Amino acid sequence: MKLNQLAFRNIFRRKRRTLITASSVAFGVLLSVTFTGTGDYTYTHMIDAGAKMGMGHVTVEPVGYQNSPTLNKKLQHIDKMLDEIRNLDNVSDAVPRIMGQAMFASANKSIGGVFIAVNPNIENAKNNLFIQSLSEGKLFSANSKHGIVVGYKLAHKLRLKLGKKLVYTTTDASGEIISRIARVKGMFKTGVDTIDASMVLLPLAATQQALGYSSNQASLIAVLIHDQRKADDMRDKIASLHSTQNYEELSWHEAQPDLAGVIAMDKSMNYISQFLVGLIIAAGILNTMLMSVLERKHEFGMMMAVGLSPQALFKLVMVESFWLALLGLTLGIVITAPWFYFLYYHGIDLSSGFGDDFTYGGVLIDPLFKARLFPESIVFILGSVFSLAMLAGAYPAWKAGRTPPIESLKTI
Amino acid sequence: MNSSPIVRLEHVQKTYIQGKIEVHAINDVSLDIQAGDFAALCGPSGSGKTSLLNLIGGLDVPSAGKVWVDGVDLASLSRSELSEVRKNRIGFVFQAYNLIPVMTAYENAAFVLDLQDVEEKEKHQRVMDTLKAVGLQGLEQRRPDEMSGGQQQRVAIARAIVTRPAIVLADEPTANVDSETAKSLLNMMANLNKQQGITFLFSTHDQHVMDKARRIIQVHDGRIESDSAKSDSAVS
Repeated sequence: MKLNQLAFRNIFRRKRRTLITASSVAFGVLLSVTFTGTGDYTYTHMIDAGAKMGMGHVTVEPVGYQNSPTLNKKLQHIDKMLDEIRNLDNVSDAVPRIMGQAMFASANKSIGGVFIAVNPNIENAKNNLFIQSLSEGKLFSANSKHGIVVGYKLAHKLRLKLGKKLVYTTTDASGEIISRIARVKGMFKTGVDTIDASMVLLPLAATQQALGYSSNQASLIAVLIHDQRKADDMRDKIASLHSTQNYEELSWHEAQPDLAGVIAMDKSMNYISQFLVGLIIAAGILNTMLMSVLERKHEFGMMMAVGLSPQALFKLVMVESFWLALLGLTLGIVITAPWFYFLYYHGIDLSSGFGDDFTYGGVLIDPLFKARLFPESIVFILGSVFSLAMLAGAYPAWKAGRTPPIESLKTI
Repeated sequence: MNSSPIVRLEHVQKTYIQGKIEVHAINDVSLDIQAGDFAALCGPSGSGKTSLLNLIGGLDVPSAGKVWVDGVDLASLSRSELSEVRKNRIGFVFQAYNLIPVMTAYENAAFVLDLQDVEEKEKHQRVMDTLKAVGLQGLEQRRPDEMSGGQQQRVAIARAIVTRPAIVLADEPTANVDSETAKSLLNMMANLNKQQGITFLFSTHDQHVMDKARRIIQVHDGRIESDSAKSDSAVS
């Protein structure tokens, strides 16, 4: 009989104990999948929402725009850039935008805020969170001269309603102050109070004209990609394009460091939680394997007496840990699969507890507690649970191999 | 008698420290065991019989003196090398059978052959022959908990002799079985000794073993008091 066969039989000597230990490994898989899966889903949701709010997953912008976003900094020949970028794999959309600060005034009040000029022909609910969040009215048309869509809180502060006029004042490309009249075509409600109270959308063509931009100029190009994890790769690809050579490219975490910081901190907390869960599982396996080694000390002494080497005994106990870990992982997959299926397709609605407009890191969080797992997360979970189990088995295995047979034979 | 002994002990001492007291378990023992011996180390409990077996089996190291087994100086070997010696040159039979409970009689008997990586066909032949020799034909697939004490000890003897070791060290092999079974086991080992030339060294204070042994080595307080061979007619 080979050692792995013997090890396999050994783990079923104490069926109940094996089942309890395997269950703790399985429970660890369940917790780890829940933590990681909801993390993967939430972070992706936050990053995608942040990207759709203005800067994209990757931003192409004039050099220095990130630190000093003034309207005299412009991208030239955006049509050529857009063509090249849209031809890259993994790009779902690339849209030109002009962003700037302005003073918005109604008959009653003046409030400072931010405008984003967008092209309604290429921006829609899929790539623009404000359009997705339209709560009243509709988006202006591409050739609209005076259309504006405002955040509902800003509208409330300025006492604006659909069809009402407002005046916005800003500086143009040459630094001159300009004022334009606009009429409210729609209102959006993202759920993020600071956004809803300070942002507006303007038609790109009219804004280009008002600011002294040509139709081939913009503040930035927001690039949206299918898989946010590849933002850095995409940034590098875009940076190597001929048309972007004189500009700066930033991935979402460079363009939105606050959001990146919040996610990084949350991920760290998530890893700590998982580490603690892992420790509990490892302690369970360590306990089981130690008990199993201690109660077979005499038997191990006999096996070494008849010729089993210390290395082979170490291997035997490690193989037992391997089988135990494999059993636990299999059980874990069996109990986790339906739970993950439920979280992936249905989720748990937390809106009654958090409300519909719970924000974190400046972006709206989906009140549905859902999960998704990236392939590397699956490998990470299975790999780390398995490694922990093996690591926990290493000490008992080492202890078994180190004990002289004469000592082991003396134990009853 | 062979001039080159299977086992040679030269001025062997073994001292244990128990708390602050030195216990001299073995005191200056010199001894040769020849190939084909059917010898018994006899003496009261605590006389040093098992300590001597442990030293000969490479399970323990002497505090002084030398132990050779089949020409190999055990003191010069590492733990792994000692394992090799035990695996290839020594067979062990313990008082409490010490079979592996999750293995069948066949698998227990084949355990050391597996460690030796003996080819499957040869292993099967040797195990079946040995189990037949110890009277366990037909019980190959039984697990230890499905066998009597005597049957389990037969499996242990099969495990010890199946590798054709230079010597079988048997520590009180009849202590846990009734007298009829003890007689039967001893007859079987005596036959194996005669027919296959396997060398046996027992530690015992069982009269049946002493009656059957052809050489009696009396041990007392860690010293050999007497070492006497019996004529064939004196062996019962």
